[in-house]
Amino acid sequence: VSCSMAREEDFFLEEKRFKQYCEEFVKRSQQIGDGWEWRTSKDLGDGYLSKTHFQVRNRHIPPDLKEKNNDNTEQTLFAHVEEPLDDSQAAGVGGAEEVVRYEYHVLYSSSYQVPVLYFRACFLDGRPLTLDEIWASVHASYQARLQEGPWDTITQQEHPILGQPFFVLHPCRTSEFISAVLGGSQKHHRHTNYIILWLSTVGPVVGLNLPLGYAKLAPEQGTNADSM
Amino acid sequence: MTDDKDVLRDVWFGRIPTCFTLYQDEITEREAEPYYLLLPRISYLTLVTDKVKKHFQKVMRQEEVNEIWFEYEGTPLKWHYPIGLLFDLHASNTALPWSITVHFKNFPEKDLLRCHSKDVIEAHFMACIKEADALKHKSQVINEMQKKDHKQLWMGLQNDKFEQFWAINRKLMEYPPEDNGFRYIPFRIYQATTERPFIQKLFRPIASGGQLHTLGDLLKDVCPSAITPEDGEQKTQVMIHGIEPMLETPIQWLSEHMSYPDNFLHISIIPRPTD
Repeated sequence: VSCSMAREEDFFLEEKRFKQYCEEFVKRSQQIGDGWEWRTSKDLGDGYLSKTHFQVRNRHIPPDLKEKNNDNTEQTLFAHVEEPLDDSQAAGVGGAEEVVRYEYHVLYSSSYQVPVLYFRACFLDGRPLTLDEIWASVHASYQARLQEGPWDTITQQEHPILGQPFFVLHPCRTSEFISAVLGGSQKHHRHTNYIILWLSTVGPVVGLNLPLGYAKLAPEQGTNADSM
Repeated sequence: MTDDKDVLRDVWFGRIPTCFTLYQDEITEREAEPYYLLLPRISYLTLVTDKVKKHFQKVMRQEEVNEIWFEYEGTPLKWHYPIGLLFDLHASNTALPWSITVHFKNFPEKDLLRCHSKDVIEAHFMACIKEADALKHKSQVINEMQKKDHKQLWMGLQNDKFEQFWAINRKLMEYPPEDNGFRYIPFRIYQATTERPFIQKLFRPIASGGQLHTLGDLLKDVCPSAITPEDGEQKTQVMIHGIEPMLETPIQWLSEHMSYPDNFLHISIIPRPTD
């Protein structure tokens, strides 16, 4: 078994398996129109998943809003915008809102043998978001964890293939999140696409959500819907 | 015969004579004199240039001073790369002192990471050490250490204290007696000509038959273009800490003795000078 899920804390993924899961993931994304693509690097043949989307951000939502109404908080903080808004539309929504262009990449870390989420964000005028602005935009539910150790969670790093500054969700936290999700019943997850499972867990921390369409099972699997 | 420990000291105390000049378009109240400094090869630009910043700030107005950044012959210098790596990669076959241009305006957001405090450097340094240990020991050694040990590694680097640093770092250089080396070697190979910033792959220091893999074996496996065929002319140099180690050198030995304080072997492939 190349994806060894034998121990709860060891969610290691071999690179070949990573590529296979990514291939499946892109196919599913195409079926449901979620916008992910695979990019291969010209020199070494490795690659990464990529998706760009635009979000309307309301910076003036106070942090205690999360206690009032959890469902709406996420929508207000990160209203998913399908089409790019031009500046006039963005300005018309209300002075406190702005459009942010997010670019997400999923790369493979051979050092930690897990996928890693890279992302960058900029306003429509090209100004990149600062690390502080990124930290402030982390989903309300994760703010407590982030306050404890911001330097262990999201930092700015050099993209290993493009060589440009990106923000990165640290891999060491990945196994913590994944352990919490998988708990004890690894048997049911043998057929789960690791990327879907992992991304649906860590993505929301940085405003990336997977539509429910990824959970649709192929006829031959036929077990429980909660294996995602 | 030189003791292996002497190599550790030679690596730690390596210095590059550097001349810092203020970029001509920066707005000054009077002429800015160049500033000369011996840069530690093993450290990071933003960690050792407080004096450079102070020197140039004296001739500038407060509002003109933003985050400092450095450039060599038009190329922004990545502060998160060790100084010795930057020099070997960009300027090793040029005349000393190394001429670096200092900027305070127009920070190149698309090229350089931000570095607004020493905390950023520490976080980066520690992240590299952790990644190196993930490769060498599945993170077991670094995770067993206390926070104060981690702090000691950083303080040793920051204050240029060889003994303080190595008191802790030696544990990261050990391996179980039944093994003959680390699990994988932490290394990165850099070439200024590629878009990809570096090559990093899993590589074992010991072959299945028990033989020690060499630097040549590593290059053949990971970056074959760096090794020229027997009959061809050697067009490139393989440089670590300003020298060209013999390709027969065991990679395990190189990892233990010629890694940077972040525990990585940073290897430059550069064009061989033609004269």
